[in-house]
Amino acid sequence: MSNRQPVAPQNAHPLAGQSMTGADIVVQVLADEGVDTIFGYSGGAILPTYDAVFRYNDQHRRADGGAAMPLIVPANEQGAGFMAAGYARASGKVGVVMVTSGPGATNTVTPVRDCMADSVPIVVICGQVPTHAIGTDAFQEAPVTAIMGAVAKHVFLVTDPTRLEATMRTAFEIARTGRPGPVVIDIPKDVQNWEGPFAGHGTLELTGYRNRLQAVHDNRLSDEACERFYAMLAEAERPLIYAGGGVINGNATKAMRHLANAWGIPVATTLMGLGASDTTHPLSLHMLGMHGTAFANYAVEDCDFLIAIGARFDDRVAGDPVNFAPRARHIAHFDVDVAEIGKVKNVGWHHVGVLARDLEALLAYGRRIDFAKDFATWHAEVAALKQRHRLDYDRKSPLIQPYAVIEALNRIAGGKAIITTGVGQHQMWAAQYFDFREPRLWLTSGSMGTMGFGLPAAIGAQFAQPERLVIDVDGDASMRMNIGELETATTYKLPVKVVVLNNYGDGMVRQWQKLYYKGRMSASDKSLHRKDFVKTAEADGFEFAERLERPEDVEPTIEAFLAFAGPAFLEVIIDPDAGVYPMVGPGLSYDKMITGDFIASRSKPDDEEPGPSEMF
Amino acid sequence: MRHVISVLLENEPGALTRMTGLFSTRGYNIDTLNVAPTQDRSVSRVTLVVRGSDAAIAQLNTQLAKLVDVVNIHDMTLGEHFERELVIVKLKLAGHALPAARGLAERFGAEVLDESPVSFTLQLTGLLREVDEFVSAAAGIGTLAAVARSGSVAVSKGEVTLSSYSQQHRLTG
Repeated sequence: MSNRQPVAPQNAHPLAGQSMTGADIVVQVLADEGVDTIFGYSGGAILPTYDAVFRYNDQHRRADGGAAMPLIVPANEQGAGFMAAGYARASGKVGVVMVTSGPGATNTVTPVRDCMADSVPIVVICGQVPTHAIGTDAFQEAPVTAIMGAVAKHVFLVTDPTRLEATMRTAFEIARTGRPGPVVIDIPKDVQNWEGPFAGHGTLELTGYRNRLQAVHDNRLSDEACERFYAMLAEAERPLIYAGGGVINGNATKAMRHLANAWGIPVATTLMGLGASDTTHPLSLHMLGMHGTAFANYAVEDCDFLIAIGARFDDRVAGDPVNFAPRARHIAHFDVDVAEIGKVKNVGWHHVGVLARDLEALLAYGRRIDFAKDFATWHAEVAALKQRHRLDYDRKSPLIQPYAVIEALNRIAGGKAIITTGVGQHQMWAAQYFDFREPRLWLTSGSMGTMGFGLPAAIGAQFAQPERLVIDVDGDASMRMNIGELETATTYKLPVKVVVLNNYGDGMVRQWQKLYYKGRMSASDKSLHRKDFVKTAEADGFEFAERLERPEDVEPTIEAFLAFAGPAFLEVIIDPDAGVYPMVGPGLSYDKMITGDFIASRSKPDDEEPGPSEMF
Repeated sequence: MRHVISVLLENEPGALTRMTGLFSTRGYNIDTLNVAPTQDRSVSRVTLVVRGSDAAIAQLNTQLAKLVDVVNIHDMTLGEHFERELVIVKLKLAGHALPAARGLAERFGAEVLDESPVSFTLQLTGLLREVDEFVSAAAGIGTLAAVARSGSVAVSKGEVTLSSYSQQHRLTG
């Protein structure tokens, strides 16, 4: 794959050799890449390409009469970025953003970094001031390559228009291959207006990147590696799979489930890995980590063989890496990114390769050697942990408990709906109390933790999966961040369901202030804020916009809310003191987990009062 | 510990910034940095010297190796290698220092690029220690008007080349 020359494909592109403008080339490559939705906001420096999209759509109609490549316009470019991210996460395809120079581009910095941190493939096309004006502090100019270079998987500034076509195609390739991520293409206006021949094929050379991809692709799991893996599994009494977002990004859910089910290995997933295992399965332990289920974290404490798959021992999972999985005699690590091997925790066995293929190969090897091991005792222990340490909360409270709201939503959604969230307590409650029977249903800003992710991500996801029920479970503070996108949902008649769990403040910040700052609620209380969310939703065209205030109304209101045909908004006034439990404090090991008043702990509560923490 | 890292990098605008950005965002200062195109003008060879724990630099190198622009990378300090630096020194001479300046050039084997009774310009290529000694000896003869050092450049000993390090990371282990 290295040194490959652009070779004309056997079936030449029907438009090969035609003269086109740069803008038309951009749009043609988007069409060739199968792009069916663009999220973006116009402006001076991207106008030629917006015009090219208009003309393309004028000439190419879908069977239903709709535009082949509709441009979905947000309130703010950050919204466009998260819509593309939601689209990409829900579909597995590359999300596309198209924005103008300067503020248009800088408003997408947060979603670009968010996509990098969660390995989500998007391509951001930014208009730039004309080549001759770059660096002159021109109107709406920003140093996009310098800014984005630090946060994106890759960034291109196209100064040579003859390389525009190959650059566009290469951007998609980089976004989706290896560990996926965001790619930014900065295109000066004169390059968009340039006219030249369209080749219809060709990519940039990228020797190093392609060589590394090829090396990972060629690295099939050897019999010797399989043999060592099964030796560890045979030795184990309590094996545990720790599955991360890589399983979902790598489309390896089926392979991972085959392996787990074939040998009876329980699975705990990370926040990003939710849906990798069917959370209703008896051997699923739901989520581990800082706010994981108590039973998952106890299983991590108990396991003697930990199998990390597409996971990276991040600080929200392994806050204390040395004491993470302390009884594991062996740890195995599968990943697509060699830089993750040994980054946080040294492991005795690792494999970097194509996850789905190599997990199937591992299973096939086990079948070939007639591997058999009875883990019945461990299964019984897991079942007991799940029973004894199940999630629970104050069911007698006169205030609406957020957990009960999510349980009610979950009863109807049945583990088949797409759930998006903002960041904070509501995000963790949703992660804990929803079921996920399939991958790509749980869309959350895991690594970056971007408040305001939920609503635009839900909009993008609904475009990707028009038939799915899409629910944005949001917090009052997260909702405020991108509240302008409420109108985007109604403008495009998207039947998204938006739930705001209102506890009048930054609940997670308050929880930490209670724990670590002696209850000094610095700037986290919003009880004096005057926002009327229901009126806001009504003003933005929501025909269903209600406020839920009484526990006895939870079931019927939620039923009506989810049954509503169009966009629907529901504000729920929840117990402002509801906390997220269990909790493993930052930097601590799982044996220091606190479980709150309603979840059984298997250790005595620690009397030590925690102080302000260096950890985050 | 001091690490000499050699990188083959796409000769593209922004590539060097992205590479050095990985160091600065992690709080590392680059001691020396040298960059120039190789025989293939589309690829530059970068040599940089940075201080940090072996583990931290190893992690940094794996992150560097993920950059799309990076063709290949190797930490020269992990094996035997040759490291050299070039320096050009301009001395301001006072009175009758010219013979001493010529003596300095002879003693170190430095090339005289320009000489006059008041200004003397010398070039030396050598080990870092030699370059350091040369610069401090020069300071004893006249006033150092300019000291231009190239920063380290390095190649590994024997047949190994930077482009043969493609399998530097064990993908299975």
